[in-house]
Amino acid sequence: MPPAPITAGSVLRGAARGRRRDVVAASLLVAGHQLSEAAVPVVVGVVIDLAVSTGDGTALLGGLGAVAAVFVVLATCAYFGYWLTVSTEKESAHAMRLDVAGRVLHPAGGAPGRSGELVSLAGSDADRAGLVCAAIVVGTAALAALVGGAVVLVSASLLLGLVVLAGVPLVLVASRLLAAPLVGRAEAEQATLAAATGVATDLVTGLRVVKGIGAEDAADAAYRRASRTALAARLSAVRFEGGYGAATGVITGVFLVVVAWVGGRLALDGTISVGELVAAVGLAQFLIGPLERLTGVGPLLAGARGSAARVAALLAAPPAVRAGTARLPADPAGALRVGPVEVAAGEHVGVVTLSPADAAALLDVLARDRDADDLVLDGADLAAVDLDDARRAVLVDRHDSALFEGTVGDNTGTDAAALAAAGADDVLDALPGGLAAELTERGRTLSGGQRQRLVLARALAAHAPVLVLHDPTTAVDAATEHRIAAGLSALRSGRTTLLLTSSPALLARCTRVLLVHEGAVVATGTHTELAADPRYRAAVLS
Amino acid sequence: MTARLLPVASAARTRRSVGALVRPHRLLLVATVATLVAAAVAILAVPALLGRIVDVVVDGGAPGTVDLFALGILAALVLRALLAALGTVLVARLGELVLAGLRERVVRRALRLRLSDVERATSGDLLQRVGGDISVISEGVRQAVPMLVISALDVGLTLVGLALLDWRLALAGLVPLPIWILVTRWYVRVSGPLYAAERVAEGRRTQSLLAGVGGAATARAHGLRVPLLARIEGESAAAVRASMRAMRAQSTFGAVLNGAELTGVLALLVTGFWLVRADAVTVGAATAAVLYFLRLFDPIGALLYLLDEAQSAGAALARLVGVTDMPEPPAPEHPRLPRDASVRLTGIRHSYDGGPEVLHGVDLEIAAGERVAVVGPSGAGKTTLGAVLAGAQLPAAGTVEIGGVPLAALEQPRRHVAVVTQEVHVFAGTVADNLRLARPGASDAELTAALATVGAADLGLDEVVGDGGDELSATAAQQLALARLVLADPAVAVLDEATAEAGSAGARVLEVAADAALAGRTAVVIAHRLTQAAAADRVVVLDKGRIVESGPHAELVAAGGPYAALWAAWAGPRA
Repeated sequence: MPPAPITAGSVLRGAARGRRRDVVAASLLVAGHQLSEAAVPVVVGVVIDLAVSTGDGTALLGGLGAVAAVFVVLATCAYFGYWLTVSTEKESAHAMRLDVAGRVLHPAGGAPGRSGELVSLAGSDADRAGLVCAAIVVGTAALAALVGGAVVLVSASLLLGLVVLAGVPLVLVASRLLAAPLVGRAEAEQATLAAATGVATDLVTGLRVVKGIGAEDAADAAYRRASRTALAARLSAVRFEGGYGAATGVITGVFLVVVAWVGGRLALDGTISVGELVAAVGLAQFLIGPLERLTGVGPLLAGARGSAARVAALLAAPPAVRAGTARLPADPAGALRVGPVEVAAGEHVGVVTLSPADAAALLDVLARDRDADDLVLDGADLAAVDLDDARRAVLVDRHDSALFEGTVGDNTGTDAAALAAAGADDVLDALPGGLAAELTERGRTLSGGQRQRLVLARALAAHAPVLVLHDPTTAVDAATEHRIAAGLSALRSGRTTLLLTSSPALLARCTRVLLVHEGAVVATGTHTELAADPRYRAAVLS
Repeated sequence: MTARLLPVASAARTRRSVGALVRPHRLLLVATVATLVAAAVAILAVPALLGRIVDVVVDGGAPGTVDLFALGILAALVLRALLAALGTVLVARLGELVLAGLRERVVRRALRLRLSDVERATSGDLLQRVGGDISVISEGVRQAVPMLVISALDVGLTLVGLALLDWRLALAGLVPLPIWILVTRWYVRVSGPLYAAERVAEGRRTQSLLAGVGGAATARAHGLRVPLLARIEGESAAAVRASMRAMRAQSTFGAVLNGAELTGVLALLVTGFWLVRADAVTVGAATAAVLYFLRLFDPIGALLYLLDEAQSAGAALARLVGVTDMPEPPAPEHPRLPRDASVRLTGIRHSYDGGPEVLHGVDLEIAAGERVAVVGPSGAGKTTLGAVLAGAQLPAAGTVEIGGVPLAALEQPRRHVAVVTQEVHVFAGTVADNLRLARPGASDAELTAALATVGAADLGLDEVVGDGGDELSATAAQQLALARLVLADPAVAVLDEATAEAGSAGARVLEVAADAALAGRTAVVIAHRLTQAAAADRVVVLDKGRIVESGPHAELVAAGGPYAALWAAWAGPRA
C-alpha cells in the first residue's frame, strides 16, 4: 500500500490521534466543569424554593451541602480538565515542530521556502495546528453543556425550555451574521500589523548596515509609516468591533428579557416555582457561553487547518535527491568522477570556474544536494548510495558553511593536526578559553577570517576520503592563506581533495587545475601551465 | 563570550514608563473611565429588577407589573450594551494609541543603540523584542485591556449593588474577599517569573530552530542532523515544560477561586435565609443578591484569564521598556562640523567586554582624500579599528577625530563617516527602498546613477528584494550596499572586507565597484585582496593590535618588512 498523501487533514488527525486518551479525558473533564457551572443556578434556585422562601432550616443545610458538592465537582473537573487540554495542545505542537525540523534537516533535502518561513512553520504554525486538540475538547464540552442545560430546562417547563432552546441559536445566528463583515477586516488589519512587525525585525536584522550608513532616521521613518498604517487599520476595526459588540449586546439582552418575562408570567400563574424561574434565567444566560464556544470551534479549526496545510505542504514536499541504499566500503580509495571532472585517488585538483553558476552546480552535485547520474566514486554510482554514506565519503564544505552555538571544540573537534593545518591554532590563541570558548549563534562574535578557519578545521578534522572545499580562504590574509595552503596540502596528502577556488596560493599546490566553463572542462594543466591562458589569468591572477 | 540578554525594566520603571505614554491621552482616559462606570451601573439594574419580579410572584401581584419590570430590564440591558460597546471602543483606542507610541519608541531606540550593547546580547534577543514581544502586547491591548477594565468595574459595582439591597448581604458577598486578595497576590507573584521563564524558553526554542534551519546544508554535509535535532527537541520540550509549569499555577489559582465562589454563595444563602426569616428582606431581594453574586463568576473568570495575559504582556512590556531605557549615545552639547575630511586616531585601545585587548594604542593620521588600505593577519584588529573609526565601537581609550572634531562632538556624525560592513543585509522591499535608506529624499535619477556608479545598472529600482522578494546574489547585494554608500555620500568611508563574502568571481567586480564608490572620499579599506592594497595611496599593516608598518605599497615592498612578506605570499603564486 502506498503511503497516504500528507494533507492538512492528515496532519491534524495525526496530532489528535497521537494523544487520543488525553483528548478524551480532557473533553470529559471540561464537559463536567461546564455542566457543573450550569448546575449552580439550578441548585441555588432549588435552595431558594425549598429553604429561603419557606424558612426550613433542615432544607437549608441539605441545600448548602448540594451547592458545596456541585462546586467540588466543578473545581476538580476544571483543575484537571484545562491543564490536560493545554498539555495535549502543547505536546501535539511539539511533535509537529519536530516533524517540521526533521523534514528540514532530512538528508534528502528539498524543504521549500526561506529560512524565516521555515522557522515560523516550526514555530507559530505548529502552535496553531496544535490548537486542534483544544478545539476538539472545547467543542465536545460545549455540546455536553448544551444538552445538559436543555434537559434541565425542558423538565422544569416545556414552554420556557423551548423559548430558551429556540432563542439561544437565534441569538448566535444573529451575532454571526453581524460578525461576518468583521472577519475580513480583522484579517486585513492583522496583516498590516504583521507587516509593521516584519519591517521592525527586518531593520533590526540589518542593524549593522543601518548604522553603518547612518540610516537610523530613514529606517525609523519607514517603521513609523508601517506602524501608523497598522494603527489606522486597527482603529477603524475597533469602531466596527464596537458596533458589533453593541448589536450582540442588544440581541442577548432582548433574549434574556423575553426569558425573564415569560418565566415571570409562568411563575405568576403558578406553572413554575420561583426557583425554577431563577434557574431558567440563570441557564438562559449560561447557555450562550457553550453555544458561543461551539460556534467558535469552527474558526479555531479553520486556523489550525490553515497552519496544518502549510505544515503538510512542507512534509509532502518532494525530496531534492533520491536516496540510495547501497553502502560504501569503510574507507573508499577516492577516485572520483563528476560530469567532465575526473580525479584520481589521492590527487589534489583545483577547479576554477568562469561563472559562479558552474561552481554552484558542481557543488550541488558533489554534496548530493542535486541528483546527477554522473557522480561516481571508485566505480560506484553515488546516486545509488545511502546519502549519509555518500556525504561521509565526499565531504563538501561550502563557502557559507555555518558554525553552531556551543564551544569552539564542539564545532571543530580537537584534532590538533587539522586545527594547525587550517590555521585555526592562531584563532584559538586569540580566543579566551581556546577550544572551550563559547561561540554565539553562527559564530557572530568572530571575524570573518576566524570563522573561515574554524570551518576549515572542522572539514579537515573529518578526514573524509574525498574533501571538496569552496573558496575556503577568502577572508584570511595572504600570509595565513599561504600557511593554510601548505598545511592543507600536507594534511590531505594521499587523499583526494578538490578545491573550487580562484586563490592562486591554493591552486599553486594542486597537482592539476581544471578550468571549467558551462559544464565543460575547457583547459587542464598545473597552475603555472595555465597561467598562460588568458581566461585563467582573468579568473585567478588579476 | 557568553550569551547575555538585553536589560529588562523593573516593575516600577515599567509602570512609570507606561504612565508617561498614557499622559498625552488624559482626556480620552477620563472619557473612557466615565463610560465604563456608566455601563457597569446599567447592568446592576438587572438583578435588582429580576428580584422585583420574584417578589411580585411571591406576593401574587398583577401580571402587568411583571411586564413593567421586564421592560425595565430591557432598557437597562440595551443601555448597558451601548455603553459597554462605546467603552470598549474607547479603551481599545486608548490602548492602541499608547501601543503605537510604545512600539515606535522601542524601534526608534533599538535603531539607535550602540552596536556594542546589542552585540553583547544573544542575536535573537533584540529581534524577539521588536517582533514577538510587540505582538504579545498588541494581543494584550486588543483583548485583555478592554475586558480587564470592564470586568474589574463589574465586580466592584456588583458589590455596591449588594450593599444597596442590604448591608448584611453586601457583607456576606465580601466573605470571600480575603481569599481573593491572598490568592491573587500569590498568583501575581508566582506567575510573573513563570511567564518570563516561558518566554525565555520559547526564545531559546526559536534560536535552536534558526540554527537548525539556517545550518541545514552544513548539517547535511557534516552529518550534524542528529545533534541539531536533539537540540531543537530539547529546547522545544523545555518550552513545553515551562508552559505547563505556568499552566499548573493557573489551574491552582482557578481552583482556589472556585473555593472563594463557594464560600460567597454559601454565605449569601445563609444570610438571605436568616434575613428573610427575620423579615428584614424579601425573598426577591435575597434572590437578587444571589443572582448578583452568580453574575460575578464570569467577570472574575475573565479577570483570572486576563490576569494571565496581563502577566505575559507585563513581562513583554518590561522587556520593551528595558530596550527604551538602554542608553543612547549622547548627542554632543556643542555639535561641530569637521574642518575637512581628514581622520586622526590617537592612542586607540579597545577590548570587547572585558576580554583581551585587541587594539593596543593605535595612532593613525589620514589626510583628506587619502585612501588607506589596512592589511594584516586575521584577528589583528582590523575590523575593530574600522568600527572604532566609524564610531560603531566606542574605544576603551583614545580619540577619533574627523576633520579635527572628535566623533562624539560631530554634528550628525554619519553624514561625515560611514562604513560598509562585512555583513550584507538586503532589506525587504524594492531596490529603491533599500537605496533611499541612505538618502531618503533621493530622486529616481539619483538612485539609478548610484547603481550605475557601482556597476549595478541592471538592477531595476522597482525590483522587490530581501525577505519575500528576489534573492540577490552576494555580489549584487554588496553592490547595493556600495550604492547606499554613494548615496549617503560621506566624506570618510570605511570598507570592511566588503569583497570577502562574494566569493572570488564577484570579488573583482566588487573591487571595481568599491573603487568607484570611494572616489573623492577619504577611505579606509580593510583589504584581504592585496590588489586593493596596491591600489591605495598608503598601506597600514596591523598585527596583534598594533600598527607595525605604514607607507605606500611600493616603498613597503622594497623595505622587505612584514608587508613585503605578505605581498610575496599574495603575489608569488600570481606571478
